[in-house]
Amino acid sequence: MTAPLTETGALGSTGELVAAPLIGMAFGWCLERPGLGYAPKLAGQFYLSDLTVYKVMFSALLTAMLGAFWLDRMGLLNLSLVSMPETYVLPQALGGVLFGAGFLVAGLCPGTSCVAAASGRLDGFCVIGGMLGGVALFHAVFPWVQRFYESTALGSVTFAEMLNVSRGMGIALVTLVALGGFAIAGRIEKARS
Amino acid sequence: MNRRNAALAATAATLAGAAALADFRSPMEVDVAQLAAEIEAGDDHISALDLGERIMKGDGDIRVLDLRTEAEFGEFHIPGARLISIAALAKETLPRDATIALYSEGGAHAAQAWVLLRLRGYRKAVVLREGVYEWVSRVVEPRLAADATAAERTEFERAAVLSRYFGGVPRTGVGRSELRTGYWTDAAQARPDARSIRRRGC
Repeated sequence: MTAPLTETGALGSTGELVAAPLIGMAFGWCLERPGLGYAPKLAGQFYLSDLTVYKVMFSALLTAMLGAFWLDRMGLLNLSLVSMPETYVLPQALGGVLFGAGFLVAGLCPGTSCVAAASGRLDGFCVIGGMLGGVALFHAVFPWVQRFYESTALGSVTFAEMLNVSRGMGIALVTLVALGGFAIAGRIEKARS
Repeated sequence: MNRRNAALAATAATLAGAAALADFRSPMEVDVAQLAAEIEAGDDHISALDLGERIMKGDGDIRVLDLRTEAEFGEFHIPGARLISIAALAKETLPRDATIALYSEGGAHAAQAWVLLRLRGYRKAVVLREGVYEWVSRVVEPRLAADATAAERTEFERAAVLSRYFGGVPRTGVGRSELRTGYWTDAAQARPDARSIRRRGC
């Protein structure tokens, strides 16, 4: 989230320590404003009654994607310095299912659970506790699941590379899907209200 | 949709459309001028000393690939290197953020592999320009001439640390004619046979 300020060393180690909580608080504030610290609102995503999560997350994705692309083109950001996580198809698909199930049961995801806890909500604290417990459990069983964890590796591949289209075309496609999704989400919400 | 949302959607669509027009190159298409510039600037290769230091430090961001035959690999290889054929390299999935150091007997095979990886979008591939010969002569068995210059001594000290780490034997006080040459030296001496040197490696 602090890339490329960390990679270029622009802030220095002290600056990074100051910047990290400030960025974290700004992120929390952005989640809290549309009400994403409130579990029923988040759970509404799964019942198609409230698609705020989809709209907020895809808006953030579009902003970051378009911003990073154009800043790179203008020479203000070196995208090659920004680390890109690697793709492991099956383990990440299973992780997604587990994450979704946990999200549905708790009504909160990792970021919004912190927002909920910061707002004093008990469920936020419970989800953070469960999350840390899950991390500890995963660490304990890692030697047994490591083989699966590292299977079906694709490397640091991007959406555009997978489709074999240019990065600009990949951006246009994601934007098209997002804008279409916004329009559909609005209709669904209207029909359900 | 209210006016503000419509304006934001129009802005996003415009920026995305402009992105598609500005960057229409397929990831499989290579900017030949950029490749040429990288080769010209020497960004396409890594020196044996730099490679050795990164391996010695346990740098997790480097992968070393050996493009020789299985028999040659079994006989000697750079510590931590993995044997791979050109055909396998065409399909192999490698970490995109890692430096991929390629070496072969001389340099031609590794250079071909470098082009192949660059075509596949691996931007951080590098070649050990004189392959195993460079590794053995600069890292495993570095030599210092009896009448060495200050610059040569500095480089030898750097190489000697690596040589001891990799189980080699640095030699001092040798005659000029015994020094191994390559692109890194100015001397126009004939290159010793890499094969004979390799067999004495670690």
